[in-house]
Amino acid sequence: VLEVEGTNATVEAEGRRERVGIELVEPVEPGDTLLCHAGIALEKLS
Amino acid sequence: VKYVDEFRDGELARKLAVEIEALVEPGRTVKIMEVCGGHTHAIYKHGVEHLVPAEVDFVHGPGCPVCVIPMGRVDDAIALAERPEVIFTTFGDMMRVPGGRGSLLEAKARGADVRMVYSPLDALELARANPEREVVFFAIGFETTAPATALTLLRARAEGIRNFSAFCNHVTIGPPLRAILDSPGLKLEAFIAPGHVSTVIGTRPYDFIVEEYGKPVVVTAFEPLDILQAVVMLLRQFREGRCEVENQYTRAVSPAGNARARAAIDETMERRDVEWRGLGELPASGLRLRDAFADYDAERIWELPHLDVPDAKACQCGQVLRGALKPYECRVFGTACTPERPLGTCMVSSEGACAAYFQYGRREQVPA
Repeated sequence: VLEVEGTNATVEAEGRRERVGIELVEPVEPGDTLLCHAGIALEKLS
Repeated sequence: VKYVDEFRDGELARKLAVEIEALVEPGRTVKIMEVCGGHTHAIYKHGVEHLVPAEVDFVHGPGCPVCVIPMGRVDDAIALAERPEVIFTTFGDMMRVPGGRGSLLEAKARGADVRMVYSPLDALELARANPEREVVFFAIGFETTAPATALTLLRARAEGIRNFSAFCNHVTIGPPLRAILDSPGLKLEAFIAPGHVSTVIGTRPYDFIVEEYGKPVVVTAFEPLDILQAVVMLLRQFREGRCEVENQYTRAVSPAGNARARAAIDETMERRDVEWRGLGELPASGLRLRDAFADYDAERIWELPHLDVPDAKACQCGQVLRGALKPYECRVFGTACTPERPLGTCMVSSEGACAAYFQYGRREQVPA
């Protein structure tokens, strides 16, 4: 996660940036690693 | 890349392979179904099947979202896409799936406004940007994708967006597994359960496989070491006389899953009986939008043909999806059916077993 803006986060995966919905895994902070699918985060990786 | 490189280490893979070799009973084949198309691809992309002894036989399951959609639903999608007011949005691999009247890609070539999206949230963005059009999202997939559709519907309602709707074809993973376990002549002995679906549903929905059918289950991630480790865990269960649901994918999957994701699905959708390619109609196996979201339900906004379209006669996707046939045993594999001109869904999707075999060169049975 690079940046959090309301219910969206900008994430980077393999050099590609993407905006994902984070309602299902909030709270999210820059530096977290998220498992994303179809434009939303499904889980925080630990 | 963190969470990737450490699960592709060749040295560790060899150690696991040695462990598997020691755990199998020579000459006795163990049939393990990997339910999810993501696992099928990882196995052939990384050559995992060459690292395990011949006694370990991977059988490919029904967990490919595109593969299980019956032809009639593709025709319904095309009927929606051909309406002049509609912008029809879909995941890319769904565009090439043939229905009775060709594919969405062919409909697009004839002038229908079909657009590829990565997320239903992109479709919602299109609805915001095109208030004079009706944006329909072709919602497909298991519990992995349903939360994205649910979240998009909740956002659409919260923002008062009225020109967005979903053509809901979501399905759930439990009923097809039960149907496969109930099928006559079943020879499966163990299951590698899907990883990403399980981040949502957790590990408990697989308990029935252990309790009612006596087959061990390991919820597994998608890198080659993950799959090898799952094979070790399953073989150890046999060796130690255990039969349990175990979790290999602890870095993402908790026993309870993601309750917020399930609540979002539950708020927007309810169970219904649906038709599966290869498995027939399964009770309470699919999802439709709840009455509270009727205004967002493409099936209620427009009249659809709802035709029952049989699969192409030569296509044997049904048997491949039940694990009854290996892709190269299908009579049209690699000849009449290729990724360029697919007859069946298993050759279309990036998660289909036939596409995996074709892409990674498993065109025939290789003697062990």
